[in-house]
Amino acid sequence: MLKLEHAAVMTLVALCVAAPSSTVWAQEVEKSEEGVEKGEEEVDGGEEDVGGGEEEDQGPLLPEGMTLDEVLDRAEKPAPEDFPDPVPDDQFRFFLLVDQLEYRYDLEDEPDQVGTELQGYVGGDYNRLWLKSEGEAGWQGDAGFEGESENDLVYGRLISPFWHAQIGAQYANEWTEDKYEDIWAGALALQGLAPGMFELDASLYVTQNLNMLADLEAEYDIRITQRLVFQPRVELSFAAQDIEERGIGVGLTKVVGDLRLRYEVLREFAPYVGARYQGLTFETADLAEAEGEDTSRFFVLGGVRFAVY
Amino acid sequence: MSRRSFVKGAAAGLAGLAISPSLQAKSKPKGVAGNFSVLDASKPGGIDLYIERKDLLIDGKVGRPITINGSIPGPVIRMKEGREALMRVHNRLGESTSIHWHGMLVPFNMDGVPGISFPGIDPGETFTYKFDVRQNGTYWYHSHTGLQEQLGHYGQLIVEPEDDDPVDYDVEHTIVLSDWTFEDPTTAFKKLKTMEGYYNFQRPTIANLDDQVKATDKGLMEVIGKRLNWDWMRMDPTDIADITGSTYTYLLNGRSARENPTFTAEPGQKVRFRITNAATMSYFDFRIPGLPMTVVNADGQNVEPVETDELRIAVAETYDVVVTLPDDKAYTVFAEAMDRSGYARGTLAPKEGMAAKVPELRRRPMLTMADMGMVHGSMKMAKKAMGGEMEMAKPVKYEAHDEAKVSPIKNRTELPVKDLPTMVEHGPDEHGPGSITMAKNAYRQFDEPGVGLGDDNRRVLSYGQLKVLETPKDRRPPTREINLHLTGNMHQYIWGFNGKKWSESQMIRFKYGERLRINMINDTMMNHPIHLHGMWMDLYVGHEYGKNPRKHTVNVQPAELLTVDITADAPGQWAFHCHLLYHMKAGMFRTVAVVRDLEGEPIDAEA
Ligand SMILES: [Cu+2]
Repeated sequence: MLKLEHAAVMTLVALCVAAPSSTVWAQEVEKSEEGVEKGEEEVDGGEEDVGGGEEEDQGPLLPEGMTLDEVLDRAEKPAPEDFPDPVPDDQFRFFLLVDQLEYRYDLEDEPDQVGTELQGYVGGDYNRLWLKSEGEAGWQGDAGFEGESENDLVYGRLISPFWHAQIGAQYANEWTEDKYEDIWAGALALQGLAPGMFELDASLYVTQNLNMLADLEAEYDIRITQRLVFQPRVELSFAAQDIEERGIGVGLTKVVGDLRLRYEVLREFAPYVGARYQGLTFETADLAEAEGEDTSRFFVLGGVRFAVY
Repeated sequence: MSRRSFVKGAAAGLAGLAISPSLQAKSKPKGVAGNFSVLDASKPGGIDLYIERKDLLIDGKVGRPITINGSIPGPVIRMKEGREALMRVHNRLGESTSIHWHGMLVPFNMDGVPGISFPGIDPGETFTYKFDVRQNGTYWYHSHTGLQEQLGHYGQLIVEPEDDDPVDYDVEHTIVLSDWTFEDPTTAFKKLKTMEGYYNFQRPTIANLDDQVKATDKGLMEVIGKRLNWDWMRMDPTDIADITGSTYTYLLNGRSARENPTFTAEPGQKVRFRITNAATMSYFDFRIPGLPMTVVNADGQNVEPVETDELRIAVAETYDVVVTLPDDKAYTVFAEAMDRSGYARGTLAPKEGMAAKVPELRRRPMLTMADMGMVHGSMKMAKKAMGGEMEMAKPVKYEAHDEAKVSPIKNRTELPVKDLPTMVEHGPDEHGPGSITMAKNAYRQFDEPGVGLGDDNRRVLSYGQLKVLETPKDRRPPTREINLHLTGNMHQYIWGFNGKKWSESQMIRFKYGERLRINMINDTMMNHPIHLHGMWMDLYVGHEYGKNPRKHTVNVQPAELLTVDITADAPGQWAFHCHLLYHMKAGMFRTVAVVRDLEGEPIDAEA
């Protein structure tokens, strides 16, 4: 059946082609269907001089020792197992961007800080395992080191050209010389590039105590020259309820505003200087004030941004 | 004392002091890139090609390219139409390799695409390529394995015609343009994948706002407004080339601009340049200031001679031009990278050692709203409308359909071959996360020379000027069409067709013997040189049907609607892909299966 239709189409081909030599081609094709042996003859036929005059049609180019039918059968099948991928376009990659590794000099009388922020992933184009981490530590004199960090490990999927939807867990901790506290939370996030070229990361957390928290980070690169980049950055934290033991009040709890000026010695290596404002807000600020703590801090900072891949 | 001998002396002196012998040996490679030979693959017994990693001086610095018979580019391989070509390829690399004969019609197992034609050539192995040569013209060859092409694995291929050559010339010179980096190509690919705009050092900045005001005659506020507009769309209007002169050294026959390769001819002689763009990612704008060029051949096919001052040569295309050396002066052969981040250069002169003035690089172009298919306020469209060619008729919609599951058309009706729609509107299908569909409309651009060209009073070649010299045999109207959107997500560096990478796709079926049409719709903001293996593409440029040019690689401009008709006369499986190496590597690739009929099951592309 298939063969019959095939022959019919080839005849159609022959009829449609205006040049007279095409008939020769069609005949050759049909011939090669008839017999295996003849297929070989055709391939070798090229060696003899065809002679001058018009270009002649010699039928399809076939691998040595294969008939047209065999080639057409082969064309129906996926590549043989021992063939490599012609374009391995689904390979896994590793990428780590240490966005902040910096020293923060406190402008008032609080202790200085060392701060980090990094994010990295392993995975392909659409599915990735992300690590997003943020932390700070300071030397408190006699009280020793104090610090805190938030570490999100999430699975992310590219749901639209610019947005990764992420789900996973957060491990947050706080420590002083004599106290270590930590808390686990489930995390949901949306990370990507918003219209206007804002890098955005919005995360929602439900802690092991069933408290709900949210975090919104936005940053924007303003290129001053090809290598000098000014980057404003804002981070807002929210809570859906009071968490007194952690000094958190409902609503907007904290605002962090950063300005960084970096020089891209390489795209993946840029030292920078900058400034930071960090303030507790609303009820959270009230709670801190009641404890006798400062509610806002100013820093000047310097550090390096780099990527590992 | 010349500088070189001084350096040598200094090195020797240092070596005497402390430098270890191994380091010294490494810093002194024997060869210089660009010393390639000419081989005749149609001679009895054929030829041998040795693929080998070797230290060579490239632009005066030590590189470690993949050489063919010791050189980059590889030897010029000549063949004779009507005879058999025989090449034994010996792999002396530590990895698999291959050679694809670009533009040559061959049995599918001789096409040299690992994974489609054959398994590749293992280290230490020899593969024998043997096929009948049934065409003539200028072609080229290159590795189809991994990113080897970036490392110098390419060369020119010339097929001499069996009959008289219609081109009249006295001397012939070959030009292989390419882009070289001392970086590991794998690293370059990683950078593209992870850090958008990594190589672009011509971005819009605060510092160049003023410059932009001067260049465009627009007010500062208008320029800022435009920038915010692009920002709003999350696009960069200077995204002209993914990899730029910031890492590339542009080469002409393996030589950098300052090495100035020279082509000699007697005054009054007609010189035929066979030009191949063997670059992985770089388009070149080619001109010889002071000399008009007559284009006589495109992609190996003779065309009606057309005189021009400049031509853009997309990656993987070839053009033959004839110029007459008018006097005993030197003329610069100038190939400017499309994004103006560098150039390759040579000299045409009566004798070695001469040089002419090297032109300044022009201002880097910026994309316009027209490149996004925005009709209103677009210069391109306005120009067209004024010329009366463009009817502002309602655009047609070409929906993307799953290219792997095209059902055969029961009533085979012939499709029109003239006056095809000038514009299509994008359908609702946004092709998923792998595609940022920027162009809401796509339109015919075969009369457009391309971004950054045509506004400085030079004549620039466009596809619309190409006419085949002799009408090829099969010019039946096609009876089936496939709409193929060229898609990409430049932010994530995902490239594909209809939003899918190769690994997500199934094979595209062509029915053996059929004439079919592919409407390519470029949804992206980049140019893509699309290459079909094994078969010709008859490019619709609005001529009488028999005169439309025949190509192996077609450049599709941003927001362009481009139509090719194909005779599916090559049974087997073939590659169809974007020839920007890193776009291909990122998935802008399909396997085409030329099969008995269209009704079969979808064929998985991946084994
Ligand atoms: Cu491309």
